[in-house]
Amino acid sequence: MKNAKNARPTQRLSPWGLLAFAALLLPPLVLENNGYLLRVATLTLMYAGLGGAWNLLGGFAQQISLGHAAFFGLGAYTSTILLRDLGLSPWIGMLVAAALAGLASLIIGIPTFRLRGHYYALGTLAFAEVLRILFLYFRSFTGGAIGLSVPYMGDSFWYFQFYGNRPYYVVALAMLAVTMYLTHRVSTGPLGYRLRALRNSHEAAEVVGVDTTRAKLQANFLSAVLAGAYGTFYAQYHFFIDPDTVFGLMTFSVKMALITILGGLGNVWGPLVGAAILVPLDEWTNAVFTGGLAGASRFIYGSLLIVLILWQPRGLLYWANRSLERLRERRTGAMGEGVRP
Amino acid sequence: MVEVLEAIANGVLVGGVYAIISVGLTLVYGIMDIVNFAQADFLMLGMFAAYLCAQFLGLDPVLSSILVFPVIFLVGALVQRGLVQRVQKAPIVSQIFLTVGLSLVLQSLMQMIFGANFRSVTTSYQTKAISVGPLNLSVPYVLAFLASAVMALALWLFLERTDLGRCMRATAQNRVAATLVGIDPSKMYLVAFGIGTALAGMAGAVILPYAYVFPTVGHQYALIMFTVVVLGGLGNVLGSLVGGLLVGVIHSVSAVFLPTQLQNLVVFIIFILTLTFKPTGLVGRRAA
Repeated sequence: MKNAKNARPTQRLSPWGLLAFAALLLPPLVLENNGYLLRVATLTLMYAGLGGAWNLLGGFAQQISLGHAAFFGLGAYTSTILLRDLGLSPWIGMLVAAALAGLASLIIGIPTFRLRGHYYALGTLAFAEVLRILFLYFRSFTGGAIGLSVPYMGDSFWYFQFYGNRPYYVVALAMLAVTMYLTHRVSTGPLGYRLRALRNSHEAAEVVGVDTTRAKLQANFLSAVLAGAYGTFYAQYHFFIDPDTVFGLMTFSVKMALITILGGLGNVWGPLVGAAILVPLDEWTNAVFTGGLAGASRFIYGSLLIVLILWQPRGLLYWANRSLERLRERRTGAMGEGVRP
Repeated sequence: MVEVLEAIANGVLVGGVYAIISVGLTLVYGIMDIVNFAQADFLMLGMFAAYLCAQFLGLDPVLSSILVFPVIFLVGALVQRGLVQRVQKAPIVSQIFLTVGLSLVLQSLMQMIFGANFRSVTTSYQTKAISVGPLNLSVPYVLAFLASAVMALALWLFLERTDLGRCMRATAQNRVAATLVGIDPSKMYLVAFGIGTALAGMAGAVILPYAYVFPTVGHQYALIMFTVVVLGGLGNVLGSLVGGLLVGVIHSVSAVFLPTQLQNLVVFIIFILTLTFKPTGLVGRRAA
């Protein structure tokens, strides 16, 4: 966070952005506390935050991690095991989880940051797989493939467990605010410039004096800390975790990336837009297509990814901006030159 | 001791198949600079194709692999022309997620058609074994290995002795120079992707006598495949053949000393170590 201290005044938040974010306070007031819709809204915020975490390195620097589930899963297991064995409050567990995930990011970063492009993606993928196998294997400690249930403590703030969805929604919103503020600061701060410089070319960035490894380690550290904290949130909200889910490639690693790409890579608002579309879609397809058509939701998922990459690889926000600009140009053009075809 | 020898022998047999699946991946990377994250799903498609041949035509999977090759080649070529070609010059993020999306689509498509249950074929030699000295080798493994060896030989002859093969090697070595001497890179991409995926499909057919087929069977092979290609040097055909045998042996021998669940762990650790210390692969620089 050293960078944020030297921040320039241009890092001010836009009032429109704050207003848009404030609108997110509405759902818990309008929607039923125990209802399905508020649950989907809460999950949307959680995934938006996860996308935001991934965005720090995957978006700004376009270093594609296919293994962010490693940090998420580590976070989920850390707080849950601390609660189970020591009765430690998951709030404290969340801090430990974030710290452990951050530490893991440094350990993983040392071998993987020498790698570029496809190699980096493969390396991160392998790390998440290693953790998945280890957590499956050490059954007595992690519960293995059967998974781990979060001990039930009743409706208690101290134990981060609530009856309805509203408190979870508020927590997720607060976490999202932190995530988005952090990505905003990184984006407008020096680290953001370094990351964007190395996105285009590591060599060129090095030439102008950017320590690319350091920049990547910093971004990945922040990213991992956030992902770890979200792991705890997921465990507390879901009350159940298992290695194949929380360390899964398709369940989390790819989903975080897809959400970000859908909204806009390297855009602070991208993950929120992406999650607002993808999470409800996911819930809907999972509910509609069951039994023999169980594959349909993944089919839609995969097709969406392909269409997006081919049609709008920069994401919906970029596309919306461009369309607005074009519309404005046409209007001012029409005023200046009279009627145009 | 016999146990270890047998593990080594089985490792070599299975490794031959790993080599063939991986060689397709490395061929595509060598020529197109794209890692096909859906490669293992073409193996799955090949398994299903051979399964259908066995069910409806009564063909032995190892024999039907000859039929599977052109079928998967066609699928691969269509995918290349329709999808992969469009991201050939795009940023890496597009290349990665296009093939990840493709993987999801292929898996879910097959799940919608065939369901998620495990299927297998029965052959007359399924439970037979042959004795070589003190070792007992399972016949399906031996057949799969022999078929893989034939494929490797055919690929070698193709790359070394045919004009098209030479053009492909030239493209892999230096795309610009190859274009200057009149090689059409877009044609090379098509052939490379077609052959790369068809080899995986064909390997899928030959393992069917000893492996179950289901829509997500590719997961079991995906990371093994990535380990093999990285070990051999991404883009290096010979390297991935050697890497395949090596990973096969390591995988098989580690099962003797470690619990089966940790078998894959050894492979991933080798993968990470290779990426860390020798990302260009053990065999050396790229030479298709």
